[in-house]
Amino acid sequence: MSGQVYPKDTQTLPGLQLEKVDDRIMTLNVGPQHPGSGHMRIILKVDGDYIVHCDPDPGYVHRGEEKMAEYRNYITNIPHLERPVIHDSCNILYPYCLGVEELLGLEVPERAKYLRVIAAELNRCVYTEYWLGIYGIFLGHSTMFMWPVGDRELMIDLLDKMTGARVTHAYFVPGGVRNDVPANFEDVCLRQVNYFEKRLKEYADVFYDNPILISRTKDTGVLSREDAIKLGTTGSVLRASGVDFDIRKKEPYDVYEELDFQTNVLKEGDSYARSKIPWLDMLESCNIIRNALKKMPKSGSVRVKLKPKPKGGDTEVYRRVESGRGALGMHIVSDGKPQPYRIKINVPSFRNLIAMPHLLTGEKLGNLPPVYWSLNYWPVEADR
Amino acid sequence: MGTASGIIRALNSGVRHIATKRFTFRYPEQKLKFVGDGYQYDPEAGVGIAGYKGRHILFHDKCTGCQLCSIACEDIAEAIAMPKVEEEWKHNKKAIMPQIDYGKCVFCGLCVDACPFYALYMTNDYELSSFTKEGLIYTPAQLQVKPQVDQDVDIQIDEKGAKHG
Repeated sequence: MSGQVYPKDTQTLPGLQLEKVDDRIMTLNVGPQHPGSGHMRIILKVDGDYIVHCDPDPGYVHRGEEKMAEYRNYITNIPHLERPVIHDSCNILYPYCLGVEELLGLEVPERAKYLRVIAAELNRCVYTEYWLGIYGIFLGHSTMFMWPVGDRELMIDLLDKMTGARVTHAYFVPGGVRNDVPANFEDVCLRQVNYFEKRLKEYADVFYDNPILISRTKDTGVLSREDAIKLGTTGSVLRASGVDFDIRKKEPYDVYEELDFQTNVLKEGDSYARSKIPWLDMLESCNIIRNALKKMPKSGSVRVKLKPKPKGGDTEVYRRVESGRGALGMHIVSDGKPQPYRIKINVPSFRNLIAMPHLLTGEKLGNLPPVYWSLNYWPVEADR
Repeated sequence: MGTASGIIRALNSGVRHIATKRFTFRYPEQKLKFVGDGYQYDPEAGVGIAGYKGRHILFHDKCTGCQLCSIACEDIAEAIAMPKVEEEWKHNKKAIMPQIDYGKCVFCGLCVDACPFYALYMTNDYELSSFTKEGLIYTPAQLQVKPQVDQDVDIQIDEKGAKHG
């Protein structure tokens, strides 16, 4: 009202430009609410019932984990680095520990390696069960929400006995694990994993062989083998498109090369295949846990003393592991100080996000939930 | 497989579970049992002892006021302060002991790993809610008290299925 001067043409101000209204194309914001996992927005342009343009908009839960890591030393980085994926916290700490061990030149005891593999596989089950529960509720299948979330408790209970916390375990440290398992853990673990496997097989009837699910997800969001490789997708998305790529097999870390297991590959590349791969992975995880329990040394040290800082000058290391979503890597740069100079987390969620515009363009709007969640995308991890 | 038979199989799978016992338990009346007395750490061996990471317990006769727990927490949650206590100990000339703010604590247990004098452990007590923010701050005198926990429910598995009991 008083002396304030507005430009004559308000249309030139940033943010005030009105969108050109098209007769047919409508812009639709999906989000930024909580579509099951964390905050993200998908900006869609729809022509009637068909998506003509898709623009995922991540970044709502960016917490600056990488910057925070530059101000903390190698041991106090542990609690906050597992926050991006609290359901898969062992697997996000795994590459960090492997990398720091290489930097500091630590030799991990044999028993600790097995305990890590067991914890990581249990955690993969916890994560995937949670993911599966949300996939069920995305498709309106409430039984498939109740069952996985209930059965997840079996694995959480084991991790609780092992690490002392139900989520955010802070169990892995550079140089081994924080503590040995309690006395009768192996029996309890075997019993619960066997029962868990039996329960997993029951999912086939109610969910994976269910004609309603198949008709909903079959042939939606088909990602061809060539596109999957070209887009740089990873984990279950890549393996559902027929590429046999699993870090546990290709670049075995810790004791994975001594355990016999197989990777699950499907050729279809549609939402159904992408939703089935994590379930098959969980069944394989049960085998790995049983195998590891059998081969694990019965006693021995589980942790070596941590050195405060790496010897020598500038070094860098990149290690990656197979997490619940795919290849999770950490690039750690050290300049010889007790704190890392830079940590770059290469998260699988962000790499799989790139497939979303590719898959959703041309799909029906109703196919958004099955395609979106089958990408195994975790917004909080992608934003770091 | 035909559509009809698939739907019947899916329904049948649900029907089979009508008679099974529920897996959940009634929380405030029943409480989950944990292994041991809580997370502990043996500084000589350099490894922890498995246990639940709940509220801490502080042994006044062992704490020297060295502030290592507080320093460990500095970069993590800044939950540990070192106030003066009205006690006289030969080994604690400064008479300072940790006071923990559970509004900030993330229960990682790295303060327990930092204590070289077997003075700070964790317990199975996790029911720490309070109506005020001040109520979440546990003074050294409060941390000294051994919690009374009544936890007895565990996962039991038989042919019929799993349940808490």
